[in-house]
Amino acid sequence: MSNRFDPAALRRTILEMAFAGSTVHIVCAFSIVEILAVLYRNHLRLGDGTPRAEGRDYLVLSKGHGVMAQYACMRELGWLNDNDIRNYFGNGTILKGLSDAHVPGLEVTSGSLGHGLSVGVGMALGAKRKGSGQRCYAIVGDGEMNEGAVWEAILFAAHFKLDNLTLIVDENGFQAMGATHDILELGDLVQKLTAFGFDSIGVDGHDELRLDHALTRTNELSNGRPKAIVAKTIKGKGVSFMENKNSWHYTRLTKESYADALAEINAARATNGAWSS
Amino acid sequence: MREAFSRCLVQAAKANARLMLLTGDHGYALFDDFRKECGSQYLNAGVAEQNMVGVAAGLAKVGFYPVVYGLSSFVPIRVLEQIKMDLCYEGLSALLIGDGAGVVYSYLGASHQSTEDIAALRSLPNVSIYSPADATEMQWCFSDAIESRRTCYLRMGKADLGRVHLHEAVSPAPLATPVRVLGDAGDEIAFIATGAMVKTAMILAQRWQGVSVWSIPRLKPLDPDEIDRCISGSRKIVTFEEHSIHGGLGSIVAERLAVCDAARDATLFSAGIDNRFSDLCGSYDYLMDRHGLSAEKLQTRLRAFLGDEDRSI
Repeated sequence: MSNRFDPAALRRTILEMAFAGSTVHIVCAFSIVEILAVLYRNHLRLGDGTPRAEGRDYLVLSKGHGVMAQYACMRELGWLNDNDIRNYFGNGTILKGLSDAHVPGLEVTSGSLGHGLSVGVGMALGAKRKGSGQRCYAIVGDGEMNEGAVWEAILFAAHFKLDNLTLIVDENGFQAMGATHDILELGDLVQKLTAFGFDSIGVDGHDELRLDHALTRTNELSNGRPKAIVAKTIKGKGVSFMENKNSWHYTRLTKESYADALAEINAARATNGAWSS
Repeated sequence: MREAFSRCLVQAAKANARLMLLTGDHGYALFDDFRKECGSQYLNAGVAEQNMVGVAAGLAKVGFYPVVYGLSSFVPIRVLEQIKMDLCYEGLSALLIGDGAGVVYSYLGASHQSTEDIAALRSLPNVSIYSPADATEMQWCFSDAIESRRTCYLRMGKADLGRVHLHEAVSPAPLATPVRVLGDAGDEIAFIATGAMVKTAMILAQRWQGVSVWSIPRLKPLDPDEIDRCISGSRKIVTFEEHSIHGGLGSIVAERLAVCDAARDATLFSAGIDNRFSDLCGSYDYLMDRHGLSAEKLQTRLRAFLGDEDRSI
């Protein structure tokens, strides 16, 4: 089977876009690459395959800063083309630096943190009331968990028994200005979310097999409890000089760092291959 | 007016099974009929207004029509960013109800008073703003909002002041015009009012000669040509609102006067809350008087502006 949504290919697209647009937030996108790959490859039911297909499952990127990872998946789906990637941040183009629902394929406008999960909760509630069987997956950053509105949404989802909602926390341990435990300690998110009424599980957010199993297992439980997957990730995963280097939250690629990053991803791809279902 | 609101809401919910009422744990007794007749469409989102508006946006995205109820100091003020990003930017169809607007909660203090809601929303694209003066206007506003399929904010102020429109007047479709309450477009003095202050404008109009009174139940969108038409013959214009003089009805008319040829020679007196909080506790009437907005205080203030035409002297 062809390896669609190959993480190495997705990271190459992210680098290509980031270099073309001279953008920041590369590392925010790198931490969720495997999460998105597994979701798009094995879990999201996309209906007729068009971005706004009736009856599709919803993927809500509440941490809008990682949007380049989603653009990379949308390229694989044929929803974006090579020109879109090459002209990233060009004047008059529509792909912004944060998730924007005006772009077909992106469900929410996020980036102002603490919005997306609530909107996703509303979509899950709507799907439940319609009995449509649609699921909503919402990806929230751990830094974003500082926002009070996120916890309002969590309370609400549990109270209204939204078992068609899967909250995926990208726990990369960093936020804009430093490590989450230095800025606002979040504690044990699996325990916290369990206490809030979610079926919660912690996984390695770069292990596609474990992510896949976690999603499959939680999706099977129609028990009136929303699901949470706390994905332990590495900010900047895939390029050694970016990994856990929070300065890369705001650093742009140079010609040299772009070449070095690409070389590293290509080399890893040649030696490891990539897991596929 | 609250009964009219409740009636409109129940009627709309019965006509549209996809209408969902969300309340931020407010509206005690107001929703008794709704819960009795459309219980499955009622949802208390808890004391969590930000999430409530986000959830409303999510529901709207998947085909529901959310009606979001709160006190106006919370909806729209506390959730302004959710309204901006989750509803307006997305161009979603939803109705936000801000109850107790102005200084209705006179005994509770500044946290529950809202004299900035119109100003805050006026600068947002893709949102309509309604400010009904009585039960009739409530019906007009409610149906106009639903039919518009836009994000709408309905400001519900002091609701027990009685009727402005004595009979069930037909709504001026599509509510883009000021509604004539007294007098004519040719009158030398024009009183333009919105919400609870329409009644006060009507009382004061009796004390001068040649006064027309206009109510503006929909502040946005508002056709500027229609404002011109009702003030075209006026030399003096007074706006009345239970809202800050900055950014509300007074500003709407002032902005228009600044570019409008027809009323170039007219001068404007803007009656509203003068850039301050209510510092003291007391009854609604007391606070309105303290802000200079009681009929008595306004009569004194207007004497200087309108001159000796005061019949009461």
